[in-house]
Amino acid sequence: MIAKRTGMSVKQRAVIGGLGALLALGACGACLAADEFSGQTRPSWTEQGANPNGPLAQAAGLNSGIATVPRSGATLETELRASGHGLSGTVTLQQQRLEGTAARSKAWVNELYAATGSGGWQFSAGKRIVAGDVGYGFRPNDVVQQETRRTLLASTAEGRPLLMAEYFDASTAWSFVAVNPSKPRAQRGAEEPAFAARMYQRDGAVDWHGFARYGAHTGGSIGAAAAWVANDALELHASLRYLNAADSTAIDTATVGGSATGIVRSNPWADAKVRHATQLLIGGTWTNAEQLSVLAEAWWDGTALSDAQWSDWNARNRQLAALVGTPAPTAAVAGNLAWQANAFGASSNLRRTNLFMRVSWTLDKWQPAIDLLYTPADAGRTLTASLGWQGDRVRVDAGLRVYGGPGDAVLAQLPARRVAYVAGTWSF
Amino acid sequence: MKTILRSIAAAALALLATHSFAQDVPTLLKAADRYRVGSENMQVDTLISVFNADGSPDKERRYTVFAQAKHQSLVLMQSPAEKGQKVLMLGDDFWLLMPNSQRPLRITPMQKLLGDASTGDIATMSWAEDYTGTVAGLEDCGEPKQPCVHLSLAANRKGVTYQRIELWLGKAKHEPLKAELYVQSDKLAKQARFVTDKAAAPTVVTEMVLQDQLTSKKETRVRYLARKEHSVPEAWLNPMFLARNPALE
Repeated sequence: MIAKRTGMSVKQRAVIGGLGALLALGACGACLAADEFSGQTRPSWTEQGANPNGPLAQAAGLNSGIATVPRSGATLETELRASGHGLSGTVTLQQQRLEGTAARSKAWVNELYAATGSGGWQFSAGKRIVAGDVGYGFRPNDVVQQETRRTLLASTAEGRPLLMAEYFDASTAWSFVAVNPSKPRAQRGAEEPAFAARMYQRDGAVDWHGFARYGAHTGGSIGAAAAWVANDALELHASLRYLNAADSTAIDTATVGGSATGIVRSNPWADAKVRHATQLLIGGTWTNAEQLSVLAEAWWDGTALSDAQWSDWNARNRQLAALVGTPAPTAAVAGNLAWQANAFGASSNLRRTNLFMRVSWTLDKWQPAIDLLYTPADAGRTLTASLGWQGDRVRVDAGLRVYGGPGDAVLAQLPARRVAYVAGTWSF
Repeated sequence: MKTILRSIAAAALALLATHSFAQDVPTLLKAADRYRVGSENMQVDTLISVFNADGSPDKERRYTVFAQAKHQSLVLMQSPAEKGQKVLMLGDDFWLLMPNSQRPLRITPMQKLLGDASTGDIATMSWAEDYTGTVAGLEDCGEPKQPCVHLSLAANRKGVTYQRIELWLGKAKHEPLKAELYVQSDKLAKQARFVTDKAAAPTVVTEMVLQDQLTSKKETRVRYLARKEHSVPEAWLNPMFLARNPALE
C-alpha cells in the first residue's frame, strides 16, 4: 500500500492515496463512457475478541501499552474499476474507525497497467495482479502475486509492478514476467525483484501448469500444478514447488542462548532464509446436484517455522512468563514476550502441516459455509462459519472465526481469539 | 364398420407420418435450432428474469453469450452483482473465472448448474449437435392448441445440462413450442415454453420460459435481446487468456 511504503502521516497518506485514485481513474477518463466502469462499496463491522493466552496477551498484561491488541471497528471500503483504450485500473478508498483510535483514511491502487496485443502475444506494463496455481487454502505456485488466503471477506488483491509478455493459442499459454523490476535486490518476500515464467496446457479433463521463478536474492524455484475433473461431481488438484531459498524470520539463538534469564536487550527475531524447501498441496472439491459442495485440502509448507522452532518458541514463552514476580524488570519481560509475536509473520502458514475442510451450500440467494483449518502438529484449529446473501445489487455477509486448540498450539496463541464480522456490499 | 375403418385409416396415417418424421430427426432439430440461433457462431445478449412461485419478481441477470461451433461457449455475466464473472464451456470441460482472481477455476458439470437458469440454459443453443432421438408421436400442444411433433431426445455427450429432453415442435414450421428437461438422475428439472415473434409465421424464439420442477418452483424467463453472427478469436476460448480480464466486447 502507498501508506505503508512511504511512512507518511495518516492525513498525508489519505490525501496522496486519494489523488492516486483520482489520477488512476483520470488517466482512463476518456474511456469511462466508451468502455467499462464499475465498482462496489462495502461498509463492514468487525468485532475482535482479544486472546487471553499467548505471548502478546501476557505482554499486554504486564505493560498495557507495549503491544497492539486486536481492535473492533467499522470500515467503509470503495473499489472503483475502469478500463478502455488499452488501460485498466482498480483503486480502493478506505475509511476506518477502530475502537479507541481516531478515524483514518487511505487509498491504494490495486492495478494500473497498459496492455496491448499482436497475434497471439499480449504485452502489459504497470501494476497488475498476476496469480496462478490451483489450490484454495494455500497456493505454493503463486510466484508473482502471493495472495492472502482464507480471508473473511473477499477483496481485490494489490498487484505488483511488472513487465509481462504472454502468448496464447487455443489450449496453451506462456507467461514471462519481470516483477518488481525497479526495486532494490535486497527487497524481501513479495517485494523481491524476480523473473517468473509460467506454462499452461489444457489436455481434456486436466489443466497442467508449470512454473519457474528466479528471485534476486532467493535464487531459483520450480513448480508444477494440475487440476483434474475426475467425474461430474469431483475435481481433484495438486501443486508442488521446490525453492532454493525463501525469506523468513527466525530467532537469533546465539543471542538468546547467551542470556541466563532469556531476557535480551533488542529484538532477537531477525530476517532469515529457509534453504531447499518444498511446498506441496493436494485437494479436491465434490459438488452434488443440490449445490452442496465439500472442499478438502492438505498441504505441507517447508518455508514455515519447523516443529523444533515452535517447540523452542513455546519453551521461551514459558521461560519469560516464569520471570513474572521475580526481580527481572517487568518492562523487559513484557518487551521480550511481545517480540515473540514476530514468529506469527515468519511465513504465510504458521505450521508446516495443515489440513483444511470447507462445506458450503448454495441455496437460491443464500450461501452458508463452514470451514476448519487444523494443524496436526499441535492440534491447533481455526473454525469459521459464514452466511452470505446475494441480491441483484446488494450482497450481505456475516460470519464468525474462532481460533483454538490446546494451550501450546500456535493458533490458540494468536492475538485474537475470535473475529465476528458483518458486511454489506453494493455493486454498481 | 365405417367408423372402425376410419379409425384404422387415421391410425395408419399417423403411424406413416411418425415414421416419415422419425427418419429425419436431425433435420427437425436443425430446423428448430434455427429459431434460436441463426448461425454456428453467434453472440447473444440475454436477460434473465426470475419470478417467485407467487409471481413476485425475484431477481434479474444479464448475460452475453458467445455460442461457437464444436460445443464451445463463453458466458459473460453483465449484471452488477456478477460483473466480470465468466463461464467457459469447451465440450465437456468447464471453467469459472472470477473478476478479482487471476486464475481460472476448473469446475465440474455439477458446479455448472448455477441457480434458477443454469449456464447450460443460457449457453446451449443447439439441440442438433448435442442430442439424438426419436419421434414419440404426433400430438396437439401449445396455446392455442396446434398439431405438434413430439421428440424424445437423449444427450450424445455427458457435458450437457440435461441428459434427456422431451421436445414438442410445431408440425408445420418445426418451431420449438415446449420441452421437458431432465437431469442426469432422470428427474424432471424444468418445463420450458418457447415464445416466438409471430405465432402464425414464427421466425425467431424471443423468449424461453422455464418452470422449475425440483425445488424452488420459480419461473425463469430467458429473453433473447439481441443476436448477431460473431466468431470469436481462438484465444478467447483459452481459460488462461480469460483470466487476464481482457476486453471482450
